[in-house]
Amino acid sequence: MPLTPELRRSFFEQMTLSRAFDDQMIALYWEGKLPIFQFGAGPLPGELHCSNGAEPVGAGVCGALSADDMLTADHRPHHVAVCRGVDLDRMAAELLGKKTGLSQGKGGHMHIYDPSVNFASSAIIAEGMAPAAGMALARRLQKRPGVAVAFIGEGAANQGAFHETLNLVGVMKLPFIVVVQDNEWGVSTSKSESTAIERNSDRAASYGLAGEFVASNDPDDIYEATVRAVARARAGQGGTVLELKTARLAGHFMGDQQAYIPEQMKQADPIPLYRAKLLRDGVLTEAEADAIETASKARMEQAMQFAKDSPYPEPAEAFDHVFAGGSEASDKQEAGAAA
Amino acid sequence: MTTPVIIPADLWDEDDKTGSIVLWLYADGAKVKQGDLIAEVLVEKVTLELEAPATGILRIQVEPEVVVQKGDTVAVIE
Amino acid sequence: MSARILTMSRAGREALDWEMERRDDIFCLGEDVYKFGGIFGTMDGFGAKYGPERVISTPISETGFIGMAAGAAMEGMHPVIDLAYIDFIGVCYNVLLNTASKTHYMSGGAVKVPMTLLIGTGGGYNNAAQHSQCLHATVAHIPGVKVVYPSNAYDAKGMLHTALRDDNFTIFLTHKATAGVGWMGTPIKTTLSEVPLEDYTVPFGKVKIYREGTDVTLIGLGMSVHECLKAADDLAKDGISAQVVDLRSLVPLDRDGIMAAVAQTGRLVVTDEDYLSYGVSGEILATIFERDPTILKKPPIRVAMPDIPIPFSRPMEQAVLPLAEKIAKQARKLMA
Repeated sequence: MPLTPELRRSFFEQMTLSRAFDDQMIALYWEGKLPIFQFGAGPLPGELHCSNGAEPVGAGVCGALSADDMLTADHRPHHVAVCRGVDLDRMAAELLGKKTGLSQGKGGHMHIYDPSVNFASSAIIAEGMAPAAGMALARRLQKRPGVAVAFIGEGAANQGAFHETLNLVGVMKLPFIVVVQDNEWGVSTSKSESTAIERNSDRAASYGLAGEFVASNDPDDIYEATVRAVARARAGQGGTVLELKTARLAGHFMGDQQAYIPEQMKQADPIPLYRAKLLRDGVLTEAEADAIETASKARMEQAMQFAKDSPYPEPAEAFDHVFAGGSEASDKQEAGAAA
Repeated sequence: MTTPVIIPADLWDEDDKTGSIVLWLYADGAKVKQGDLIAEVLVEKVTLELEAPATGILRIQVEPEVVVQKGDTVAVIE
Repeated sequence: MSARILTMSRAGREALDWEMERRDDIFCLGEDVYKFGGIFGTMDGFGAKYGPERVISTPISETGFIGMAAGAAMEGMHPVIDLAYIDFIGVCYNVLLNTASKTHYMSGGAVKVPMTLLIGTGGGYNNAAQHSQCLHATVAHIPGVKVVYPSNAYDAKGMLHTALRDDNFTIFLTHKATAGVGWMGTPIKTTLSEVPLEDYTVPFGKVKIYREGTDVTLIGLGMSVHECLKAADDLAKDGISAQVVDLRSLVPLDRDGIMAAVAQTGRLVVTDEDYLSYGVSGEILATIFERDPTILKKPPIRVAMPDIPIPFSRPMEQAVLPLAEKIAKQARKLMA
């Protein structure tokens, strides 16, 4: 599909919706956590890793995928999930630990699963790599179409799982793309401090894969690079390491003061830049862009309301879903959790 | 003579933020020396340190978990 | 000067700093340790003080840098590694399981692997199944690893000195809620201790009797010690005198100390935030049944994390943690 004005407008819609998701979660996050900070306090407990700045990755990559394709995300999954079309109400409810959440409160924000759109995640760094390759393998065995896309950060590209998986993908010529989101920082460690070469896309050659690098953090460019990678995968030409320069505007997680980031390394917000570009190109008017931003905020407010209004799970539900095929943990419940 | 232990204006950046003492490193009535680390102050997720401004007996006035602002007197040293 | 009251975090840092000032063989490594000083601040400020050669921030490559630590240890260094959360051991487990733990044995004692691995454990703050586990039994099960688990500042300092002076591989565990760091709220009072300025050691393999009692023994480790202490306060209101025992060390395990403590009351509740089955709580009961079950007046009770992945949502997580209320309830059953 060519890069039409309609598609670009949808990128802007997706990006603003993802930003609304994070901004409203950030606002809620501090409730109950001040003045004494405790991860477990308030209506949105636990660690929270927001995607502010990475929205172009979600919009551009997901825009180039089809319903058959499979995605794995990491501990920072919101932008990918929103742009993939993961149910917004149920995702918001999951972050708040509610029974109506995607995982009925069992997963939380680092563990987003929505099989209806082939979306999974893992909070262990680089742990999404090999399962994504396995999903691609399954489709080959099942003679069904589908490209697997693993979203990781640039820091994850130094894990063994990254290299082992790429070699397997190369050997087996699997329809696979790893999206290396280079936001420059693995917690407080910069890419130049952690990575022996400048670009992970150059590492693709070691495994017989294609490598592409997009420097702009612009969804148009990301889309076009992804279209090329998807075409290679569908044509049986194998995998791609797609490295995308992006931004991490809200820190590693909430409460990260980012004092380690020097002034000259401060990152630009891609959303106003893309908005200005669409205005310049005549894709949107000021009024239309405003209307999209307003609609995104309103949609997210609705999801937030759904989440807040939803009930918590019952304590005993903790014992459901350990195994498929029904509950087997009742003896353990009696022994271990007798309340 | 007593010296107040005051939350310094430069302990954290934003003037409108509040903090809270989470730990006194000496018990009320303990002898402390000027420059000793005597308390931890938590502001959002960042732990900051309070030093004794004088040598003497620490008299704690503000218990942990009470909200404090810059300029508040949280103890005196006698 | 009067005695200082420290958090476990500050106490551990003091021990490591003391050893680093005096010994060239110790160096630190782990993700973000140069700028952030490790998950509990054990290396806080060390980057500036000791420089990037001795305080090495690593890429996210646990198999690589923990394997390197083992190699450096074989060559006469004593690496101190920060692994943040124990949930991440999966990434580097082979080094623990097959190299750092077994090299001394397989070499017939010819090759030593002195290294100390600092790891945070535990949940209770809604961080879900991949960031809340204890898994201490998973590492204590490996022959050739010492596993220690202080629960207060005095022991944290003394046991870290011991680990750093030991010629073996030590896994040094700290439950996140006990460390006294800024992201887990106000420090729990019973984790704070008066800590001497000078260096001292606390030996491995000795239980600590936190609280004397005559009616029932509550055994805990890490965070569950503090839940036992809360339970003991509650039981005291009913006139039940609870003894609280902190295991402190899993390998070596003070089996004599456990027997002696339990013999004093004849009633036992073992608490453990690690999974119930195949773990520490079972090991303690096995010890008693092998040595002398007649010291028990009643069948013992275990209060542990059930064998389920740790749920994210607060009502579910709170229901499965070994909290004081649950411990006290089981102790009352033994007294009935």
